Amino acid sequence: MIIIGEKINGSIPSMAKAIAERNEEHIKDIAKKQAEAGATFIDVCASVSEDVEVETLKWMIDLVQSVTDLPISVDSPSSDVLKEAYKFCNKPGVINSVSMEGDKIDILFPIVAENPGWEVVALLCDDTGIPQSAEHRLRVFDAIMEKAKEYNIDPSRIHIDPLVEMLCTSEDGIAMNEEVISTIRAKYPTIHITAAISNISFNLPVRKLVNLGFTVLAMKAGLDCGILDPLNRDMMGLIYATEALLGLDDYCMEYIGAYRGGLIGPIKE
Amino acid sequence: MSPKIQEVADLVAKGKAKLVGPAVQAAIDEGCDPTEILNGGMIDAMAIVGEKFKNNEIFVPEMLVAARAMKKGVEVLKPHLSAGSTGAMGKLIIATVAGDLHDIGKNLVAMMIESAGFEVIDLGVDVPIEKVIECYKANPDTKIVCLSALLTTTMPSLKDTVAALNESDFRSNIKIMVGGAPITQEFADEIGADGYSEDAASAATLAKELVK
Repeated sequence: MIIIGEKINGSIPSMAKAIAERNEEHIKDIAKKQAEAGATFIDVCASVSEDVEVETLKWMIDLVQSVTDLPISVDSPSSDVLKEAYKFCNKPGVINSVSMEGDKIDILFPIVAENPGWEVVALLCDDTGIPQSAEHRLRVFDAIMEKAKEYNIDPSRIHIDPLVEMLCTSEDGIAMNEEVISTIRAKYPTIHITAAISNISFNLPVRKLVNLGFTVLAMKAGLDCGILDPLNRDMMGLIYATEALLGLDDYCMEYIGAYRGGLIGPIKE
Repeated sequence: MSPKIQEVADLVAKGKAKLVGPAVQAAIDEGCDPTEILNGGMIDAMAIVGEKFKNNEIFVPEMLVAARAMKKGVEVLKPHLSAGSTGAMGKLIIATVAGDLHDIGKNLVAMMIESAGFEVIDLGVDVPIEKVIECYKANPDTKIVCLSALLTTTMPSLKDTVAALNESDFRSNIKIMVGGAPITQEFADEIGADGYSEDAASAATLAKELVK
C-alpha cells in the first residue's frame, strides 16, 4: 500500500500556525517523522491565499527536502499554482490534483506527460460538482482516462481519488465508493486508487474506528494508496495486516518486517 | 403545549420519520391548531436539536434524521396550513460560491434553516455572481442571501460575490450571511457581510435574528 503522509497541510490548525509563523523546525520535524514511519510520499499543502501560495509552497518543499529524500506530493486546488510549484521538487513526485473541472487537466496533464516519473492524482469531479452516483463518477473517470490516452500518460502514473465523503450523510454506507473503486480496479489493474481516509469519519464520535474499518473495506475493493497519518501506528499496522490478509504479502514477510522494524505494534521501550 | 403536539415534538427530536406523520394526524384530529403543531411540534423541536448540536450533545446524523422527520411531518400538515405558512419566516437564497464544489455543509445549513421556518432556494455549488443576482430579481421578497466557501482559494470568490451584492440597488432589502470552514467572523466583517455562523445550527439561529 502506498502511503501519502498527510500531516503537512495548512488546513490542519497547528500546521497553519507553523506556516504563518514560519516555524521551520516544526515542519522539518513532521516531515522527518512521517518519513521514518514509512510514508512513500510526503504531501505538502499550504492552504493559504493564492497570491502567496507558490512562494509558501517553495519554502515548505525546501524544508521537507532538507530532511528527507522521499518524493513529494504537491497539493493545491489551483492548477496555476501546481504548474509552478512542482518545479521546486528535487525528484519526481505526485501532482495533487487534477479533475474534470474547467481546464485543470489540460494545464497539468501535459506537464505530467513531459516529466517522466511524475504521477498525478485525479479527482472524480467535474464542473457539475461532486457526482452523487457511482455511474456519474465512473463517467468522469472515463473522461479522465480519455485525456490520459490523449496525452500519453500510462495508467500506472495516475492516482484516482473516488472522493470519500463523510459516512454520516450517506444512506447506504460506502456502497458508492466500493462500486467505483472495484469497477476501476477491474478495468485498470495497474492504476492507483487513492483516498483521503479520514474524510469518512467526519462528524462521528471515535473517528478512528470508522477510519480503520473504511481502510480495510476500501483496500478489499481495490484501494492501493492512502492519504493518511503515517504516525498512526494502529492505522499502519492495520494496513500491513490487511495486505497480508488480501494475499499481497508472501508469507507475511512485510508484516513481520514492519513489526521487527518497530513500525507497528506496541512501542518497545 | 398539548400532549399531542408534545408527542410530535418528541418524535421529531428523536428523528422517528415513520411515526411523525401519524402523530401529526392524531394532533390534527384532536383539533390542535395546525400552525401550533408546526411551531411547537416542529420548528421549536428543531431549534432544541440545533442547540444540542452546538453544545456537542448530538452529532450531524442525529440532526439530519430529525430534520427528515420534520419534513415528513410537514407533508402531513401542509394541506391544513394556509399557503406559505411553512416558509413564514421568509425566503432565503443559499449557494456555494463560484469555483467551489463543496456542498455537504451548505446542505446541512439549508436543512436547518428550512426547519426554522424559512423557504429556502438552494442554488447548488459553483454558483456565479450573476446567478445569485438573477435569483434575487426573480424572488424580490428574499430576505437573506447565504453564501458558503470551503477552500481558502475560493474565499476571494466569496468576497467578490458579497461585494457585488453590496453594490446592488437591492442591498438594503437583504441580509447577507456567510460561512464555511476557512471563514471567520473577522473575514465576514471585512467583506461586508451581515453575519457569520460556524455551523448549521448557529446559522438557523442567526437567520432568525437577522429577519427580526
